[in-house]
Parts: sequence; structure tokens; C-alpha cells
Amino acid sequence: MIERKERKPYWQHTKWQMIASLVPFLIVLIVLPLYADPLNHNKFLGFPLGYFLIAHGIVIIALVTVASFVNRQDYIDHWHGAHEDS
Amino acid sequence: MSLAARARLVNPRLGIYFSIFASTFAALVIMLVVLEELGIGDDLVRLAMLTGLLGLFVGIGLLGYTREPLEYFAAGRRVPAVYGGLGLAMSGLGATGMAAVTGLLFVVGIDGIFFISGGVAGFVVTAVLLAPFLRKFGAFTLPTYLGRRFDSRMIRVVSAAVLAVPALLVLAGELTLGARTIGWLTGSGAYTGMAVLIGAIVAGTVAGGMRSLAWTNVAAGIAAILAASVPLAIAAILSGYLPLAPLSHGPLLRAIGNLEGVQGLPVFFEALFGANLPQSGLQPVLKRFSEPFGATGPAAYVLLTLTTMMGLAAAPWLLPRIAMSPGVYDARKSLGWATFFFGLMMLTAATIAVFMRGYLMKLAGVSIASPPEWLTVLSQQGFAEVATRGTRIALTGVSIDRDMVIVALPIAAGLPMAFAYLAAAGIIAASFAAASATALTIGNLLSEDIVHGLSWTPREPRGRLGMARLLVGAVALFGGFLALAAGSDPLKLLLWALAMTASCAFPLLVASIWWKRVNVYGAFASLTAGFLVSVIVIVAAEAGLIGLPSELAAVIALPASLIGLVAVSLTTVPPSRHQLELVRDIRIPGGEILYDREMRMMKQKDRKRA
Repeated sequence: MIERKERKPYWQHTKWQMIASLVPFLIVLIVLPLYADPLNHNKFLGFPLGYFLIAHGIVIIALVTVASFVNRQDYIDHWHGAHEDS
Repeated sequence: MSLAARARLVNPRLGIYFSIFASTFAALVIMLVVLEELGIGDDLVRLAMLTGLLGLFVGIGLLGYTREPLEYFAAGRRVPAVYGGLGLAMSGLGATGMAAVTGLLFVVGIDGIFFISGGVAGFVVTAVLLAPFLRKFGAFTLPTYLGRRFDSRMIRVVSAAVLAVPALLVLAGELTLGARTIGWLTGSGAYTGMAVLIGAIVAGTVAGGMRSLAWTNVAAGIAAILAASVPLAIAAILSGYLPLAPLSHGPLLRAIGNLEGVQGLPVFFEALFGANLPQSGLQPVLKRFSEPFGATGPAAYVLLTLTTMMGLAAAPWLLPRIAMSPGVYDARKSLGWATFFFGLMMLTAATIAVFMRGYLMKLAGVSIASPPEWLTVLSQQGFAEVATRGTRIALTGVSIDRDMVIVALPIAAGLPMAFAYLAAAGIIAASFAAASATALTIGNLLSEDIVHGLSWTPREPRGRLGMARLLVGAVALFGGFLALAAGSDPLKLLLWALAMTASCAFPLLVASIWWKRVNVYGAFASLTAGFLVSVIVIVAAEAGLIGLPSELAAVIALPASLIGLVAVSLTTVPPSRHQLELVRDIRIPGGEILYDREMRMMKQKDRKRA
């Protein structure tokens, strides 16, 4: 069980992790499609690069983001003793 | 000691059970392919595919029978991350995501990808902002969570009434598509299809509620993944690509781009905020596949992505299922798996669209008098139409049914008809998953938060579950009636529902965890402003009163909801100490599940009084 004075640092840490996970991902999500057309002149694995990045690329970035979030947040939980008793 | 207790909750034989399901389904399909080649009647193959699929789902649903509220409303809180994620992805996707979005990608190409990136982003946002906290709270429905969080019965009842509306839209859309596909498979029209589908959904959910739903959705997910990827892999091999088609079809996509240039398919640009998404029905291909912003303007594309993201993140038919995972860590992980399965299914759908475009490109210049055999078959089934002007087929003269592109692919690839029936089975499976999720969500909202919404003490289990079961059946019937009466475009219904949840539920849910100052008045303002403004904008846009596409309703409604939330919260009294203490507890993963704690304390109070 978490100690009372650990609550505030725990939440600060969690908040920074949230920002670190979401902000870069959302920037990519919003900005990347706007550059799809110029990127399409290049190719990758035979795909037009712009198409590949906004279809496969965003899915891969999302998976990396969520996987790193799950691991980092679990580490934060254990560091502050906020994890489940399990 | 407690590690053993939690590990013991999860059934160790789940993998075996679902392997048995997958091999039964695969055996059924292979058997039907063999029987078809041996010359057995076409009707029998169709019927066997349908009854085999729905029979397995209903069987799994009935096996989940329970009399325990915890089992009925939260599947006993023991659905492991992989299975929970597959179920979440499946009911987030539904038949609309599988069939209608494949068609959308086929018609408008790269502009339809907003649904893929918005969907995966929605699961990422849920994982980070909402899932762990909702799991820690552990309430069975969203309105119960909001009601306990703000300590208000009014917000419970009002949010239940508001959140039921988008869920009902999705239910109607899913039933429309599922009934149509069943009607085609049995050759008996949409009314019979609707009756069969509703019967299967009711039989598959009333026995065990969320418990049945969790396991039928996993089965539906396995069936849908097989149904989408197996015909695609065979078509890829036949065209000379590696069977892992989503990663290997790049050269085909570039070849299509070159052919489009040769054929002179126009490149055009939509206005900044314009969105011209194809309706359901026969659609000609007007736009080049990988040239962006011809069907949605750049701003509209980004806004549609964000609407899909926030709408899916706050979807009332997905969030209650987070309560099914065994713990907070598993809740985060199950959203990760949901991202994976959603991405996999949607990239498969995009690949199906590209392959279908590839077959279409081969038609250009062929004599109208002697079309290829697959086009004749598609026309006979009513999935395609060729304009009869001139002597040669023109690319823009071929219309393909938007919602049946996924069924058309095996036919265009020249595979046995059993594979087309398999693709149709995939649509039915996805429709079953999403429609039962929405019907059960609305049923639970009504029975828990409206009929019994004014009392916090739950009724005794028998009456509680009886009412919930009764209402699931009533909701499914009403949804079917609505689908037949309105007959709207499922994709449009889904996008409207996402716009509504994005504006009325998303800001409120995020604030209820991340902003301590929010109070019940702000919550009420956000909920009603978001809902009313989104409905007004959708109606006005459909009536042509404003120049904004109705799918973008959240552009106006979300800021309205946010302003209501912040302004009203700051100008009224701060939340009570009890509420602040509750938020602090929600934020910490460890400790007792808050809903259970509140129920336990309530019982103790009652006992003291008695």
C-alpha cells in the first residue's frame, strides 16, 4: 500500500509520463498526414512512402507508444509503491 | 499469497478452448470448400456457413450462464489482457469497420485512413487517460461511475439517458449491415436476416451478460480475422505477392498509381473543411488511391481523425468492459492488445481495398460485350454495375457496392464461392460482436441506472439480473425495429455516434480523473451541452442549414462541452472532501476496488440503521 506522503510525487510522475506518451504521438498523428503527398514520391518496401507512413506507420508508432507506456507506468507504480497488492 | 489468488482467477484452459473454436471454424470452412468443389448445392453451403457460425457463438454465449451479478456485469473480473483486447477491438470495429470502412478505403483510397489512425489513437488515449482509473473504480457501467464519482443521482440518470443515444445509433448500424449480409447469405431478404441476427444476439447475451459477451466476442474476433485475412492471403499468392499481404502489396499499390495516371483518373482537392464520404450502395471509383485530400480536405481529415479517436476513447459500449480485466496493469495491457488487433484488422481491410482496386484496374478497356467472369458474377449478385455507354468498360463506369467490397474480393480473385461466404461470415461475426456489445451496454444502462437509478443499494441478484436480461432483449428488438424503419447508412451512424460521445463524454471522463476542481454542476453542463449541440449540429448539417459536414459535428460540440465544463465548475462551489478523497484513491492503482468498497460501506451503514 502506498504511503500518504508518496501520493503527490507519484501523481507528478504519472502526469509527466502521460504527457511524454501522448504529446509526441498526437503531434505525429496530426502532422504526418499533411505531408503524405510530398512523401509519396519516395518509396519504401515498394509502397509510396506517404501512404505507408500514415497507414502502417501510425499503427506501429501507436503500438510502440502503448507498449512503452505500459512498461514505464508499471515501473512508476512499483517505484512509489502504488502497485496493486496482487 | 494474493498473487496466487489473482492468478487462480484466470482460467488456464482459455487458450485450449479458443484453439478448439478456431480449428472447428477452420474445419467448417475447409469442409465447405471441399463439398462445393464436389458439387453440393450452393444453398446448403450458404446455410451451413451461417448456422455453423451463429451456432458456435450462441453455444459459447449460453455456456456463460450465470446468476452472479459480478459475473453478469463484469465477467467475474478475470478476462486476461489478450482476450479482453481482442474483444474490445472487435466491438470497436464492428461490421461497419470491417465492411463499410473497407468500402470507404476502396472508393476514396488514402482519405479513408482517418478511421484506422483515429481508431488506434483512440485505444492509445484510453490506455493512458482512462482505462487504469476506470478499472480501479470498478463500476459496472459508465453512469454508475459518474454518479458515484460526483455523488449525484441526477448525473447518473441523465448520463445514462444521454449515453444510450450514440450506443443505439451504433446498434442500428450494426444490425443493418449484419441483417443485410445474412439476408444475402440465406437469399431471403433483410427482414429474415434481421430476425435471425436478433435471435442470435439475444440468445448469445442474455444467459451470461458481460461474461457471455467477453467470450463470444473473442470467438467473433478469431472468426473475423480468419475471414478477412485468409481470402486475402490466397488472392495475394495468386497475384504473385507474399501471403503477408498488408506488408507485401506495395508494388501493386504503385502499379495502380501508374495505371490511374495512364487512364487519366482525375486528381482533385476537397475544400479545407469539406468531407465527401461515399454513401452506402453502388459507388463508382472517382479518385486516385494514394493521392490525399480528394474526398476530405486537410483540416477535415485531421478533425475526423481526432473525432474518431476521442469518440472511440469515450465509447460507452467499450469502456464498461475495462472492468472485466483482472487488474489495473492488465487493463492497460488489454488496451495495448486492442490497439494491435484493431490495427491488424484495419490494415487488412486497407489491403483488401487495394487488391480490389487492382482487379478493377484490369477492367479498363475490356469490351463491354465480354466482361470477365467475376464481374458477371458480381453483377448477378447485385454487388456491381457497369455503365453501358460505349463499347469498352471505362474505370469510372464500374460501380461496386461499398459495403460488399470485402465479399467481392474472393469472387474477383476467382476463388470458390465458399470463400465469399467466409468473408460474409466475417461481416456477420463482426456485426454480432458489436451489436451484442451495444445492446448489452444499453440494457445495462437502462436496468442499472434508469429503472433502478435512484437507489444506490443494488436490488437482490435475482431481480437485478432478471430486469437486465429483459431489457437486453427489449433493446435488441427496438434496435432492429429502428434499423428497419430508418435504414440509414451504417458508416454515417457510426461517425455520428463517435462525434456525440467525443463531445458529451470524452471531456467529462478525462476531467473526472485528471482535474480535481471539476464538480457535479460542471459535469452536468458538459454532458448536456455536448449532447445537445452535437445533435443540433448534426440535424442542421443534414438539413443543409450550415456548411459543415455532419460527421464533423464535434468541431462545434466539443468546445461547447469543454467551455461548459470549465466555466460552470469554476463559478460554482468546489467539490466536497469526500469527492476529493475519492479522486485521490482513483489515481492510485493499488488498494481495494472502489466500487466494492462503497457497496460494502453502504451495507454496513444499512446494518447499523437496522
